[in-house]
Amino acid sequence: MDFFSIGLALACVSAACGIVWRVWKWHARGKALAGSSALRPFSLAMGGLTDLFLLRRTWRLGALRWSGHMLLVLGFLPLVFLHAMDGVITRPLFAEYEPTLDPWQFLRNFFGLVSLSGLSFLLLNRVKKLRALSLLQDWALLATLGALIVSGFFLESLKIMSEGDFTRMADDYFPEAEGEELLALKTYWAAENGVRFSVILPTTPELMERGTELHEDRCAGCHSPTSSAFVSRSLPLPSAMAGQGRGVFWHLHVGLAFLGLALLPWGKFFHPVATSLNLLARGGSQSSRSGASPLPRGLGLDACTRCGQCSLHCSVAPIHRVIGNADILPMDKLSDLRRYLDGRLSPVRASLLTEGSHICTECLRCTEVCSAGIDLQELWMASKQALAKAGRAGVDGEIRKSTASEWARELSSQHLGSVGISGAGLADRAESFWGCVQCTTCTGVCPVVAVSEDPSRDLDLTPQQIMNLLRMGLKKQTLGARMVWSCTTCYKCQEHCPQGVPVADILYELRQLGAEVLRKKEGRE
Amino acid sequence: MTFAYFPGCKIAHHLPGHGQSVEAVCARLDLTLVKPEFSCCGYPIRHESRDASVYSALRNLALAESLGCDLMTPCKCCYGSFQQARHQISVDENLKFRMKNQLDEEGLPMPENVRVRHFLQVMDANLDAVARAVSRPLRIKVACHYGCHALRPENITHFDDPLAPTIFERLVAAIGATPMNWELRLECCGYPLRGRDERISDLLMAKKVSSARASGADVMATACTYCQLQFGREGSFSAVLFPQLLGLALGLAPGDLGLADADPSWFENT
Repeated sequence: MDFFSIGLALACVSAACGIVWRVWKWHARGKALAGSSALRPFSLAMGGLTDLFLLRRTWRLGALRWSGHMLLVLGFLPLVFLHAMDGVITRPLFAEYEPTLDPWQFLRNFFGLVSLSGLSFLLLNRVKKLRALSLLQDWALLATLGALIVSGFFLESLKIMSEGDFTRMADDYFPEAEGEELLALKTYWAAENGVRFSVILPTTPELMERGTELHEDRCAGCHSPTSSAFVSRSLPLPSAMAGQGRGVFWHLHVGLAFLGLALLPWGKFFHPVATSLNLLARGGSQSSRSGASPLPRGLGLDACTRCGQCSLHCSVAPIHRVIGNADILPMDKLSDLRRYLDGRLSPVRASLLTEGSHICTECLRCTEVCSAGIDLQELWMASKQALAKAGRAGVDGEIRKSTASEWARELSSQHLGSVGISGAGLADRAESFWGCVQCTTCTGVCPVVAVSEDPSRDLDLTPQQIMNLLRMGLKKQTLGARMVWSCTTCYKCQEHCPQGVPVADILYELRQLGAEVLRKKEGRE
Repeated sequence: MTFAYFPGCKIAHHLPGHGQSVEAVCARLDLTLVKPEFSCCGYPIRHESRDASVYSALRNLALAESLGCDLMTPCKCCYGSFQQARHQISVDENLKFRMKNQLDEEGLPMPENVRVRHFLQVMDANLDAVARAVSRPLRIKVACHYGCHALRPENITHFDDPLAPTIFERLVAAIGATPMNWELRLECCGYPLRGRDERISDLLMAKKVSSARASGADVMATACTYCQLQFGREGSFSAVLFPQLLGLALGLAPGDLGLADADPSWFENT
């Protein structure tokens, strides 16, 4: 067993096991999100094909990334099939195939160059627009592909200049060569094909002529001029590298190819598979359909390419700028949602996910801009429900888990302060209540109090009672009161207060304080 | 006249007919709508963070200001959130300073001059033109539902008289319909308690609906995405968005107004 067979075997095992695992996860995670299971067959509509082959969704968001991705796909796929898999594809298909013959030699360089230019566009795009959102795997994918292609060019360049390769080939295919003939052939190959010999060769026209004849006779059947390997041939590598470097770069190039294959099912490396399938499954749709069945939903969860567009265009991104929870933004929320469904999310992270999930306004924009065509809207709506079912219903839900008096007891030993550094501090300021004469107008006009048969049972306190407690500095007694959390924010109390007490604003402030209390309780500031 | 059109988050997925009808009506009335990529108005996050809410609102106002036109929204809650944000920075220097810094980071100016208009206000300002453009007066009785967040607190929202508003009835009369007087027209729809306290939300809605029905109205008209989402849940009595009614009166096709499958009980009367 040599490096090649062991490497290929390991890479294939890793890829196969990983793919089985990923596909199983589509089902498992999709099911964990519950919801209806009305089976909808994948619609292989034209829309899906257009999205896949023309990268239509990527196009809508800018030419730089689209051109980069298009160039990379158009350059890299031919290399995978025609070059890396030449033994099973190219050779059986083309009887005349030799990797050192044109058009193959030229095409390899051409496609390599196309791939590299695509990669550089993508790198530029990521550095320019997405640096803050990028993770190691984003850079790793770009780096692996880049290194694979560059090492390929280096390897070919070193093969071209290698004296050892020339000698080996001459021994194999021209064993009967005499001293003079070999010298002529060397002269030709040094001059025309860039082989770098360690001895200085005479360059008489006669020798060149003889060398040309011998080349035509012995070599040309399998060797086009190396000048058609226009990238590799023009690399300015020092002759000293040719000896050792050839082996090193062969291992590097082949090793990177195996690494890429082995990593295929892991993280973002899987997106060529999952995203393509998802684009087909979505059939070109940009809207959202509720109640997806588990498999397409799980596929959607897995199809993210981490292109960052959803997070760049997210409607609540300004809230993320202020609050700073990364799970407010769709791209990070999606990866944490996957972890949550796998049962791998820490309690603190789960509370961040819950907050992000509840701050989402379901505006559809991430679904519209998603270049992978993921029905994010459906995932957000379903996951919000699943989280609530698991007892994670956001600030409001957490507060309602305990009664007002339980909250008062729990908070009694804490220093609450006013609403962080950012609050208006209305509830703490005596001026807010100076005018309050406990006339009960606020309670009288409150529609929530009006629909309750028994306000002290349903609401704990009435608005005017809350004002009274606050006036006495008993803020902790009010924080968990149902009245605070079931206020509809209709502002009738405030509008009708004859004394100008900002009742509704104060209730808002108590809820903001409640959110802060919970954030502290969940271990984050 | 040109407005920066702020649809608000819920329209795209939850109530596309609202956006469709507003845009169709504006096109008919030669009002130009520009559509920059706005973000959330800040209304929903106000329960959790004042800074996040005010910043979200100001960021949109700054975008509209940089376009040099007033902002128009068809949603009362978005409208209220913008007015609240402006008020908050006018009374709190520290907040204004923090917001200015945050806007600077995004390269946006502190909005100073941009005006916030609700769709009803824009129509009311063009009342004569609207009345002239009516080609198909709607002979129906309408219960106007005002929606809280534009109406109150008036000293901050500056929408209409908070105790006896008339703007909605004026517009309904302009399209040939009869505005009904009803007891609970200024009360809350109950939507803000959806997902928080479903029971009270249901009770508030039911109470309003029975009051509207008792007035003898054929249909309730709303002018807010959230209010319409709330009443849209109620099967027994229809609620319709005012821009949709207006669109019908202007002779636009129901399909262009998101009314393709409207409840026929009032629709047939038109």
